[in-house]
Amino acid sequence: MRPGRFAGLLALAATLLLGAGAQPPLKAQPMANPVPMEAWNAYMSRFVAENGRVIDTANGDISHSEGQGYGMLLAFLAGDRGNFERIWSFTRTELMIRDDGLAAWRWDPNATPHVTDVNAASDGDILISYALGRAGAAWNNPGYTEAARKIARALGSKLVVKSGDRLVLLPGVQGFSADDRKDGPILNLSYWIFEAFPVLSQLAPETDWTKLGVSGLELLTIARLGPAQLPPDWIAAPARGPVTIAEGFPPVFGYNSLRISLYLLRAGIADAQILGNFQRNWRADGGGGPAIVDIPTGRVVNQLTEPGYRILGASLACALEGTAIPQELRHFEPTLYYPSTLFLLSWALLVEKYPRCL
Amino acid sequence: MSLKRAALLLLLGGAIVPAIAQQITLPVGTPPAADKTSADAPVRPKVDESALRYFASQGDTRRLEAEIARLRALYPDWSPPADLFGPQTDPDLERMWKLYADGKLSDVRSAIAARQASDPSWQPPPELIARVTESENRRRLINASDAQQWSTVLRMATETPGLLTCSNVDILWRVAEAFGKTNQVQRALDAYTYLLTNCNDAAERLATVQKAMPMLDDAQLKQLLALERKDPQGQPEFAPIRDELIRRRMGRAAENPEYVVAPDDLTRMEALARAGDTPGDPLLLGWYLFRHDESSRALDWFKLALDRKGGAKAAEGYVLALNSLGRALEAEPIAFEWRDAAPENGKAYLDVVISLLTASPPPVLAETVLSRFSPVVMRDKYVPGAQALGWYAYNTGQLVVSQAWFQTALSWDPNDEPSSYGLALTYWRLNDAARLNALVQNWRGRSERIVALVDPQLRATLEARNLQGQINRSTNPLVAAALRVTPPPADGNLPAAGLGYAPVPAQAGVQPMPGQPAATHQFQPIPAQTAAPQQFQPVPTQSATAPQFQPVPTQAAPTQLAPARPAQPILVQTAPAQPAGRNYAQPVNYQGAAPAPRPRAASSGGASRGGGGAAALSRGWRLMELNRPIEAVTAFDEALRTGSGKVAEEAAYGKALAYMRKGMTNQAQVAAIEAPQSPRRAMQLTADILAQRAYEFYKDQRYVEALISLDERARITPEQQDLMMLRGWSYFNIRDYQSAERIFRALAAQGNTDAMNGVSEIEFARRLYKRE
Repeated sequence: MRPGRFAGLLALAATLLLGAGAQPPLKAQPMANPVPMEAWNAYMSRFVAENGRVIDTANGDISHSEGQGYGMLLAFLAGDRGNFERIWSFTRTELMIRDDGLAAWRWDPNATPHVTDVNAASDGDILISYALGRAGAAWNNPGYTEAARKIARALGSKLVVKSGDRLVLLPGVQGFSADDRKDGPILNLSYWIFEAFPVLSQLAPETDWTKLGVSGLELLTIARLGPAQLPPDWIAAPARGPVTIAEGFPPVFGYNSLRISLYLLRAGIADAQILGNFQRNWRADGGGGPAIVDIPTGRVVNQLTEPGYRILGASLACALEGTAIPQELRHFEPTLYYPSTLFLLSWALLVEKYPRCL
Repeated sequence: MSLKRAALLLLLGGAIVPAIAQQITLPVGTPPAADKTSADAPVRPKVDESALRYFASQGDTRRLEAEIARLRALYPDWSPPADLFGPQTDPDLERMWKLYADGKLSDVRSAIAARQASDPSWQPPPELIARVTESENRRRLINASDAQQWSTVLRMATETPGLLTCSNVDILWRVAEAFGKTNQVQRALDAYTYLLTNCNDAAERLATVQKAMPMLDDAQLKQLLALERKDPQGQPEFAPIRDELIRRRMGRAAENPEYVVAPDDLTRMEALARAGDTPGDPLLLGWYLFRHDESSRALDWFKLALDRKGGAKAAEGYVLALNSLGRALEAEPIAFEWRDAAPENGKAYLDVVISLLTASPPPVLAETVLSRFSPVVMRDKYVPGAQALGWYAYNTGQLVVSQAWFQTALSWDPNDEPSSYGLALTYWRLNDAARLNALVQNWRGRSERIVALVDPQLRATLEARNLQGQINRSTNPLVAAALRVTPPPADGNLPAAGLGYAPVPAQAGVQPMPGQPAATHQFQPIPAQTAAPQQFQPVPTQSATAPQFQPVPTQAAPTQLAPARPAQPILVQTAPAQPAGRNYAQPVNYQGAAPAPRPRAASSGGASRGGGGAAALSRGWRLMELNRPIEAVTAFDEALRTGSGKVAEEAAYGKALAYMRKGMTNQAQVAAIEAPQSPRRAMQLTADILAQRAYEFYKDQRYVEALISLDERARITPEQQDLMMLRGWSYFNIRDYQSAERIFRALAAQGNTDAMNGVSEIEFARRLYKRE
């Protein structure tokens, strides 16, 4: 490792800690809603069922803990207490059934019982806990805070593990650890939702969420693989040994990794080294928006054109260069669940942190 | 009722979080004892009547009455308000109750949160919150139970004790199961006991016992059954599941042969199995009987189960039962058909074929049995399978093939002693001294029986030790045969009594046989007039032309060669390709392809039946008839060179017989394997050759080797009286008087006078030794 990268890492760590301080403390008053009610209502009517189930319309209308967590976070950002409660009610009743206090990750409307995989997915649990934590503080609801705390503790004890010098986030309870796989741990860097870590630190201080964030940034600088120097969706990151593409997973920079820049910006980590790399790739390959890239060859597999994906590139240009968001991206129209979610989260980012680009 | 419920709740709470136990007893109404203190209580709880008002407004009298009863149970001093049917004052709340009544729990939650957002001072009625929470927790408990998250199930039950009532029997069952699955069987029993003590729905009570059956042991189940009630007709309510209970007992006893079920149970199960049309009961009976050593009865039930599409388990049982009844030949096709259905079926198939291959004497196996077994063995590199194929080839006189299989087994596991023993025996039979000695060297110090093949001293020691019962008989029948001292009794085929075995001179160490080393005569310990209807005469009589000597089967031969079944009786031993390059192809139908009986062919004036091979063969047989065996060998050789298939087989056979007639057993052995023989004939020829060798060894005073020959022969065919006498004298000559005496006495008991002589010889010898 070059000494320069060490310095960079320290700087990143400082940024992260700074970010923690910049987050509104749990007792703070809510600010103006960064997700406009009109857009949220459009999202709701398309992707949230009456019973509070967030529907992944591109995946056979299943639901998952990630979607429930996004739904709760967006409801919070829209200031919609009624529908936040609606989505949480479904989440609690249908997914919060694991003995260890984490959420079962997969729910299929066409299966009986509906939970078809009881394993946890850590990004879903982080989103749910984070949304509950912020809502509990903002709306003065101790029930939410308590529920957030339980999930954060379960996350800390089950899914945040030591791996050599690193503290890493296992993607799930079964199948990813160094015990489960020879090339383990298998990690997904887009599960590091950096903006949540300061909140989780307050909820479950026994876990070193700051160090988890530092490890995530370190891995992001290491895992720039292939000609495109992009992080694969799934990496094998053994404690001793190089980081590689995880065997058995598609070797792509794909739908997982493309949200990393959004997460970094939302957490206030405008690191030019990491973000600049995304931007260069996206510019070279297609108008600044992300593409699915085959890691070994660096070739574009699929250029993504939906507004929900293009706004990721526009947000990068805004954050790094102050470029204004194009007019065509200033209007929300629901498409599919995932890009629509990314669109609203990006929009909230711009409203909260980069109003100058709007 | 509420007291009992409180008791269960205490128990539940105690099971999970002891501290909670106290909490959950509190909200459960006011037990009588608490009434006194309630007078002192300054504040009476405010009764939440919102649900009541909602149901009243909807005209839902059923729910209204239930709610009134519930509130009265909770608050004994409470009475319903007079204005119950008046106008609702809060339409928003009314909507929430309606959503609750419709089961739209997320909508209720959402509505409450939305109203609180707009009106921070508004509080939802606690009763509404409690009801929604209870319904949510009910769903969550069921979801957790479906996902086998037992701790969550118990946590929900603890948090929501109101669920644990007779109106929620399904929840009680799930909680009991969660206890059972978390090693708290006693608490599961408590839950079932609670249910059977308090709940009255007949179907649910019956189902409770059914649910409890897999969770509880017999003693615990008995406790539950003690709570049985009588139905209105006076019948015991659990009668319909009595059969289930019998199945349970029998299932347990089928797994553990130490348990036996009552005869009544067995009778009942048999009746049920016959009356039904599913495979379950016959299968259960089959396994129970099979594990209790009643294979014959078990077989019928397995058959029925198989007929009723009982699948792999039925096939496995059927195969194992047949095998244990010694009917492996019948079992093989079924075993093969099902071999890939489950690991157990694969094992059953291997067991069946191995027991077929190593049976003593070896049965005649259809070609398919071997041709489909060999690839399985090769694929799995299955050493016992290759070894068994080796033994089968060995026992049916296919020495080249047996050598190949034993070598194959050893290439997979060089330390497999039985395969090495088989290979050693094969070399011994092939007179391949060089390779036999090399093999023995390899096993010196590791296998006595292999070394004993070249070491008469050791062999004698082994025989003696065997007699003292110090050698554990192996389950491998072939190993047992190798160690056998007394061959199987010669059943009904004993020679007529009184036929002479030459008396033995008194002195020990003196050749006891009548010494007739005549070159022209066979060694003949047996008088000529043997009347025994043996399948063959191993030793010619006074002259080689004696009419008894029938090297060629006459009229009876075809039936001997071909089994009664019309199916092809031909064994074709398929050797592994690499060691033996010989082609062992056989005509499919032996009977059809067989030439006319040879004596007739011979007498038909030498009319050749085709090519030169057939003509030479015909000439060979005629020369045999003329008792010119050496010339016959030449003719047979020509037939072997020019003919193929059937002709070659016949020629090799004739050549072997010709050498036998000349007393040249080694050459006979070599000739016998020049072309593959049908298994039955190969065995016959092998037995002949071995008997001949035994006599020759005996003649040369190589008694131990004579015994080896006899043992090898005894593997494949029962030993008749003449050979038993030879065996007895062999023992006598190595001074194993104990073995000799046992044989002589056994034969003497059947009236064999020579054997009586033998007994007296032994007595004499013993006196002689005592004097020494």
